[in-house]
Amino acid sequence: MKKNFLEINNVTFSASSQNKINNVSLTIENQGDIVCLLGPSGIGKTTILRTIAGLEKNNSGTITLKDRILSSKEIQVEPEDRNIAMAFQDNSLFPHYSVFDNIKFGAERNKNKKKGLEINDIIKLLHIENIKDKYPHQISSGEAQRASLARSLLSNPDLLLLDEPLSNVDQNFKEEIQVRLKQILTEQKITTIIVTHDSYEAFYLGNKCGIILDGHLKQYDDPYNIYHFPNSIEVVNFLNRGTLIEAKVTGENSLESNDLGKITGDFIKHYPKGSNVKLLLQPEDLEHDDASDLKLKVVDRKFRGTNFIYTLKTSSDKLISVFVHSHHIHQHEIEEKFGIKRPIHIDHIVCF
Amino acid sequence: MGNKINFWFISSLLISALVAIPIITVLGSFFEPISDYYNILKKTFLIDYLTNSLFLLIGVLFITFVIGVGCAYLVSFYIFPAVNFFKWALILSFAVPAYIYAYSLTAFFENYGTVFAILNNLFGEGNYNAYIPKFDGLLGAIIAISFSLFGYVYVLTRASFHYQSQNLVELGKNLGFSKKRSFFNIILPSARPAIVAGLSLVAMETLSDFGSVSYFGVSTLTTGIYSAWISFDDLTLANRLSSYLLIFIIGLFILENLSRKKAQFHTSSKGGHRTKTLIKLNGYKSFLAFIFCFTIFLISFLFPVTQMLYWTIIFPQHLENLDVFKLFLNTINLVIISSFFLIILAFISNYGNRVSKSKLLQILNTISISGYAIPGIILAVAFITFISWMDSNIINYFEMGSIKSFFIGSTLGLVLVYFIRFYSLANNGIKSGYAKINYSIDEGAYLLGYSKFKTFKNIHVPYLKNSIFLVSILLTIEIIKELPITLILRPFNFETFATKAYLFASQDLLEAAAAPSLILIIIASFFILITSRYILKE
Repeated sequence: MKKNFLEINNVTFSASSQNKINNVSLTIENQGDIVCLLGPSGIGKTTILRTIAGLEKNNSGTITLKDRILSSKEIQVEPEDRNIAMAFQDNSLFPHYSVFDNIKFGAERNKNKKKGLEINDIIKLLHIENIKDKYPHQISSGEAQRASLARSLLSNPDLLLLDEPLSNVDQNFKEEIQVRLKQILTEQKITTIIVTHDSYEAFYLGNKCGIILDGHLKQYDDPYNIYHFPNSIEVVNFLNRGTLIEAKVTGENSLESNDLGKITGDFIKHYPKGSNVKLLLQPEDLEHDDASDLKLKVVDRKFRGTNFIYTLKTSSDKLISVFVHSHHIHQHEIEEKFGIKRPIHIDHIVCF
Repeated sequence: MGNKINFWFISSLLISALVAIPIITVLGSFFEPISDYYNILKKTFLIDYLTNSLFLLIGVLFITFVIGVGCAYLVSFYIFPAVNFFKWALILSFAVPAYIYAYSLTAFFENYGTVFAILNNLFGEGNYNAYIPKFDGLLGAIIAISFSLFGYVYVLTRASFHYQSQNLVELGKNLGFSKKRSFFNIILPSARPAIVAGLSLVAMETLSDFGSVSYFGVSTLTTGIYSAWISFDDLTLANRLSSYLLIFIIGLFILENLSRKKAQFHTSSKGGHRTKTLIKLNGYKSFLAFIFCFTIFLISFLFPVTQMLYWTIIFPQHLENLDVFKLFLNTINLVIISSFFLIILAFISNYGNRVSKSKLLQILNTISISGYAIPGIILAVAFITFISWMDSNIINYFEMGSIKSFFIGSTLGLVLVYFIRFYSLANNGIKSGYAKINYSIDEGAYLLGYSKFKTFKNIHVPYLKNSIFLVSILLTIEIIKELPITLILRPFNFETFATKAYLFASQDLLEAAAAPSLILIIIASFFILITSRYILKE
């Protein structure tokens, strides 16, 4: 049987007596996989990373990395002996060393081990050239995050833990750094767990994502499934990428909604005919059609560059969102009527 | 990670326990039978000891408050001639111990003293003695102690004023307050924790003062302890008196601690902090501000220095007879050995605390740093009591030779008690340095594969080198000035500048006390000047 690279087995992570994430079981199968953990602020995502790193104790369950038990009720391997690197959300650069020297600490840890990244390459990749001779107090928090990331990457650890690694990085840099980070992690086969509250970042970087809500790991799956097949109303609400509307199951592949009429598609989970369900409606599920007789009132319009997001009000006062390509011939103003293409067909129907 | 018993935990525990010994010894006297001397004392001098200590305390607190806050306010908010000079010159008063100030005060105003000589030179011979005020007894002690200690209030209040935001000053203007109302309703209350902290330090030092009160013949609890031990040879009585003083001081200590906790609440310098715009004073206001600061500088520093210098010049034979080199060597020896151990052990203890996060260690650490609040004289007596108890109960039991000579009247004993006395200074200095190191820096180091020792050696020590420098200089200044512990525990024929000056003065040979006093002030001033930048900043 193939062994998992990292196994977290039934571990309760506790930041405080009130703030716990209970009985988490999670595996990373292959070296080089990237896992992103998503959840609201203050839920204890950082505690998970700190416990895996050995900075906090776990009193139940086991954490095993490459077949070696790191934490259990009886065993606690010291953080320095785990070969796990972590980039903290806050600046953890050594204040009395320059940025370059700080990054060098990472390289020094790796000097007798495997061949990996060169210090100058990573400095270039993460745009640190201009600040490398400065001291931590002379740089911005976004720059400090990049330097801290570089230090962790250079140490070439068995497991890399990144706590909101790009939360302070400037927006114009962020996407580029995300791309480069993913490239480095994949090329160097560095197994990584990333904690973030940015679902776009998680969906881009992660091979798998975990959603942590209400003290539990609610869903652990690949990003596509998390987005399209959320397993609970809580996950839908957390991701905030759709609206739940009342509907009645009318057949194998159809529903009837008071607001939108007949909707067809493939059910992910089947319900008996006549069941009242809540249907997940995501912005890309509906299409705009000026000629349609199904008209809804526009209450808001957001311009997002490549597209507009129209927020529409249904007859039962539900608010639903629809994407429209920004090159669409005309725009609809607030209070105007907006046509929805009929018949409505959704590839995969998710109901609760 | 937490609560593990390892090298750091054990070392930290031992260091804290060592420093806590005197407090336990002194409070242990409550369980010992009362001697006859204690009953006699209770009927005779005890009330005097208590009332004198109280009046001394009130007088000193009042003067240090007015001078300390006044000077801090002027140099922090206004521009007037020589203001930048006064900022650091006013802390030079730290270099003049209260007992040396007391000698200068006496020398200047005594019959046929310096004032008499000046008047004689200016106006010809006359009976001036009757008109020259005498500053001795309780009044003399209050003045001597106040002018040598006001620096604590000045430094802490100034730091608090310095970091006050311009927003706070403008708030008063927006509310339509007059300058006076702004000062009393906004500026002063916001610096209250710093002022209380300064006054608490002054109070502790005042209650533990031995040199000046004994010189002026004022009977306080401290002199009472000394005479209980020297005159009555009654260690139990000395310890019992010490415990009264200790309870008094612990009360002040708790007050100071509470005030510091509130200080964190008061400093809201994050975010909207703006540097103050200083107000330029013109005309008579500028003159008055200059005169106020100059007068304080004159009285607190120039006056004792000039007096000592004057005598050293007109009685050069005392300087010639003084073995300056030997005194310097003795003093510096004590400074180096004590500072070395203090800094190393304070470092280990702080790191132990940081790594183990143990509640027990935190409590012991709090007790141990109260060593600074215990008068040197109590520490010396408690140390002798403890060693005597060990000698007769433990060493005797195992039929080993006496250990008294190893510890009492030896450099080892002296260094040990210095250690207890100044541990809090070293500990707090290192601790405040550590407070600036975010814990995630340690964790970052562990996760880069650094062991605890390597993190300590490669990350903490280099980062805290400024704190180490500052602490070692502050320790140097304190040890150079230290009198009662050195006086009681020094080896036979071993003198420092402080003990030499005291011994001359106690024999009424003030002219001879001038030279060692002057050298002591010069050395202390030198160290204060090289650290003034840090002292004013922190």
